[in-house]
Amino acid sequence: MSSDERDGRRVTRDFVRIRKSALAANDRVAGELRDRFRDAGTLVLNLVSAPGSGKTTLLEQTVRRLRDELSLGVLEGDVATELDAERIRALGVPARQIVTGGACHLESRIVRRALEEAEFPPLDILFIENVGNLVCPTSYDLGEDFKVALVSVPEGDDKPFKYPGIFRRALIAVVTKVDLLPHFSFDLDRVRERVATLNPAARFVAVSSTTGEGVDAWCDLLREALAAKREGRPWP
Amino acid sequence: MHEMGIALEIHRVCREAVAGRGPGRIEKVRVAVGELSAIEPDLLRFAWEAVTRETTDEGAALEIEWHRTEQVCPSCGPVPDRAPGTWLRLCPSCGGPLELRGGTELEVLDLVFAAEDDPPGPGGDEPGEESA
Repeated sequence: MSSDERDGRRVTRDFVRIRKSALAANDRVAGELRDRFRDAGTLVLNLVSAPGSGKTTLLEQTVRRLRDELSLGVLEGDVATELDAERIRALGVPARQIVTGGACHLESRIVRRALEEAEFPPLDILFIENVGNLVCPTSYDLGEDFKVALVSVPEGDDKPFKYPGIFRRALIAVVTKVDLLPHFSFDLDRVRERVATLNPAARFVAVSSTTGEGVDAWCDLLREALAAKREGRPWP
Repeated sequence: MHEMGIALEIHRVCREAVAGRGPGRIEKVRVAVGELSAIEPDLLRFAWEAVTRETTDEGAALEIEWHRTEQVCPSCGPVPDRAPGTWLRLCPSCGGPLELRGGTELEVLDLVFAAEDDPPGPGGDEPGEESA
């Protein structure tokens, strides 16, 4: 503590130790959501990628394969429009659009409110499709079991090292649009190595929502993760 | 650009920490920011200026303690001199796989708060003593 005079008033300086996350408010709500999802036995995935990487198209293929076997729900984050939620609802799966009105990422309070409004039935898997952005969603815990990072072939194989924050955190890395591999100089093994460098525990899957290649393997990973959660085992 | 939201939250955390201390202003805040936190320090400084403008804390300094991510070999120890933005796949000494440590920090560490005491009464308070 130190004191001096300023404008005839005595000023006392205090050093105040804080040591608190700058995301504490978001994390507190995310923790509440995580407890709720655990009690409900719902596996929750937070899907993060650049715009146009094929998150929604992969979700369409995913719900087609899993909808008869599991209870699914989708929260669709976008800056504008209801288009993505409509695509999922057209497949008979409940979906709620979150229109962020310009915000570049979802936060836990927005997810909590969307869930209250959505009134989903009891779910086995909840997919949260984040706003297309590989940076801002990185820091925000939404109460998910884990993040999934997606990169499409046309974006280039250097994506993991350009956006290490999200690839460090994601437990599944998905390369999408692999049917386009013959048309791009995209080295699948290099991406696999780069993902493993940033997170050796992460699982890796290459898919094409157009040809269906790899989509069954992706769905198997979801089944594995759900089973592990129900049995209280860590995954992967 | 989510630095604006982060800066608002840093300011909220700081104000919460000095609530109950009476009138005064925050002069300096220290935050820890990691290489993998997805935060750009310059944007955070810019956002901090914007969110504190026209508040009691206008002009408060934001000091960023930058935390690098270490690549560590379980056998040989930390890999020295990794260039920023580059990552090594394998240990340059033994060729084994490397682990990543740290660099995800995004934490408000501490602050300096200048409390304005009541003006000295006519009977004369002693001037404050400097102390650590």
